[in-house]
Amino acid sequence: MPSVCFYFQVHQPYRVKKYRIFDIGRDSLYFNDSSESNLNNIKVLKKVAEKCYLPANNLILELLKKYPKFNGQKIQKLFGVKPKIFRNTELIYNNELAREVEKMGYKGILAEGADHVLDWRSPNFVYKPKGAKKIKLLLKNYRLSDDIAFRFSSREWRDWPLTAPKFSQWISAINGNGQTVNLFMDYETFGEHQWSDTGIFEFLRHLPEEILKNPDNDFKTPSEVVKNYPAVAELDVHNPVSWADIERDLSAWTGNILQQSALKSVYDLEKAVLKTKKKNLIDAWGRLQTSDHFYYMCTKWFADGDVHKYFNPYDSPYDAFINYMNVLSDFKLRLNN
Amino acid sequence: MKVLMFGWEFPPHNSGGLGVACHGLTKALSNQGAEIVFVLPKKIKIEKTFFKIKFANSKPLKIISIDSSLTPYLSSHQYSRNEEKAGALYGRNLFEEVNRYARLAKRVAASEPHDVIHAHDWLTFPAGMEAKKNSKKPLVAHVHATEFDRTGGLNVNQKVYDIERAGLGAADKIIAVSNYTKDKIVSHYGIDPNKIEVVHNAVDPADWQNAGGHFGELKKKNKIVLFTGRLTLQKGPDYFLSAARKVVDYYPDVLFVFAGSGDMERKLIEGAAWLGLADKVKFVGFLRDAKLEKLYRAADLFVMPSVSEPFGIAPLEALTCGTPVLISKQSGVAETLKHCLKVDFWDIDEMANKILSILKYGQLREHLKEQGGREVGKFSWQEAAARCLGIYKGLTTV
Repeated sequence: MPSVCFYFQVHQPYRVKKYRIFDIGRDSLYFNDSSESNLNNIKVLKKVAEKCYLPANNLILELLKKYPKFNGQKIQKLFGVKPKIFRNTELIYNNELAREVEKMGYKGILAEGADHVLDWRSPNFVYKPKGAKKIKLLLKNYRLSDDIAFRFSSREWRDWPLTAPKFSQWISAINGNGQTVNLFMDYETFGEHQWSDTGIFEFLRHLPEEILKNPDNDFKTPSEVVKNYPAVAELDVHNPVSWADIERDLSAWTGNILQQSALKSVYDLEKAVLKTKKKNLIDAWGRLQTSDHFYYMCTKWFADGDVHKYFNPYDSPYDAFINYMNVLSDFKLRLNN
Repeated sequence: MKVLMFGWEFPPHNSGGLGVACHGLTKALSNQGAEIVFVLPKKIKIEKTFFKIKFANSKPLKIISIDSSLTPYLSSHQYSRNEEKAGALYGRNLFEEVNRYARLAKRVAASEPHDVIHAHDWLTFPAGMEAKKNSKKPLVAHVHATEFDRTGGLNVNQKVYDIERAGLGAADKIIAVSNYTKDKIVSHYGIDPNKIEVVHNAVDPADWQNAGGHFGELKKKNKIVLFTGRLTLQKGPDYFLSAARKVVDYYPDVLFVFAGSGDMERKLIEGAAWLGLADKVKFVGFLRDAKLEKLYRAADLFVMPSVSEPFGIAPLEALTCGTPVLISKQSGVAETLKHCLKVDFWDIDEMANKILSILKYGQLREHLKEQGGREVGKFSWQEAAARCLGIYKGLTTV
């Protein structure tokens, strides 16, 4: 009896505005671009809200009223409860992280069900991280997740067009060979990555009804999955795994020397920043650690395809690096004053 | 495949990229079995041994020189000035000389058997058209630059434009050195885009393995930012100078080297003095081969600030010599080279910002040097020659 477990990532970074060497020491507002470009955070947020957040929220509220089991009944309490499930940036995960997170009191943790991690195993069961005591590991079923998130509107895909009945059949087919189908994706899938005119909202609207037509299927939240299903085995993930690119590793953020040196530069500031006890500096330092800044510096896409380019508001990874390092130079000046 | 090729210059007697491109392409073509008769204007005899060495192990290349005073990058104004000194041997003005050359080219076409005619840039288009009239063989017009590139779009010479348009119209196929150039040919000359093939230029690493890069004390104290090219409006040296002024304010230990000559030289030297950069800017004149290579290797950054660059071989040469490059977005090479910095030629602030970034951020310099050096390997004359052969075959039954 597979349960369908949705997880959506809602993520908007503070993009660093065009910042030249001449601005160092003169301008400490890094995130306030007001141009027509995609560095204008307010503009981007408004655009995505209009295309995705507002219509998707409306639809999901509607679905929750109609199918209370679609996403649990506790949604109203969402911001009042202590989270029980941990999900790291970009689904980055390894054994060590799971053990740390368990110490913090979490009951479950999410990760990518990458082939090189699972080997012959199925992502449709609950696992226990190696070296952990009780915390449970939920793995993304990346084939079914990406069918929605990436392939939904692709006409070259042999299963196009994807309909709710078709997708529900694939879920039902797992019956007897899995307990949970974990569909993890960007919330922006709905309306932003897949535009409204692809039919993505109609797909989502009919999905609960189609899935629940089979009495063996249901919906569960990650917490419910952790509570209801035992871990079937221990999974050993020593090297970090993520949901990015075909490599499913850290190379999207740490793959080249520029990314490594930018990360080192910002991490090296930790002591000095915390010592100031100044909220504005600590906040800015935090924002400068957002993974996106380093993703924009990735040079893999020159060879790999254009996923990075699609998400890059800078002209090139080199422009992203120069901009970021200039900002960091200014930030260091502020720290020393 | 027998090719009758009309060119303008050949190293070591070249004054710019056209000669480099003709040489690289011709060498690779004969290497791939094409028999080339290369016709070019020359007042002096060509050293035959040079070509024997250069083209060893290839199909024999026949060079025919026609007595003419034409050189590339020549304006009609300059031509008149030169001819006053030379006397009455050649045409009274540039256009007469181009036509006189075309008539002589026709005779060559009659005596040299060929399957296809290949003409490089406007000065040879009339020759190519005359040859085509005579032999009825297909004409390939190769565009390395248009009048719009040379003038930056200002003061386009109507006579030059007319010759270009006639040549492009008469050609059976046009080779453009970039999509950037192809777009110009379509929009300014009204040519059907389907008639135009893009074949990017390349670089031969074997030409750049001769010099070490030691600049002694100068290099110890200063970073070096290099410009090479004719000092003309098209190449944007004045934008580079303005950017230099901004850079020096933030990073004083830097030298800006201008390697090249041209009609803007005096203006630039005076400009440098006015800007208080006399000790930061060096004008070293036109360099080639080992001397140029040494400079490429010594530089920390190569800048190509062109106002309009149909392709731009120089950045490939710099990368081959292990120097990272900052190139104008208004260039053909910018559409295909990835591991480099790019800037709009008019955006002096951004040009200065990027030059400073290279001087300041060592990792960026190293990364671009390494990745760019690897990437430049994909620009091969063999590949370009194979594309040309494909085009010839599409036009002939050979």
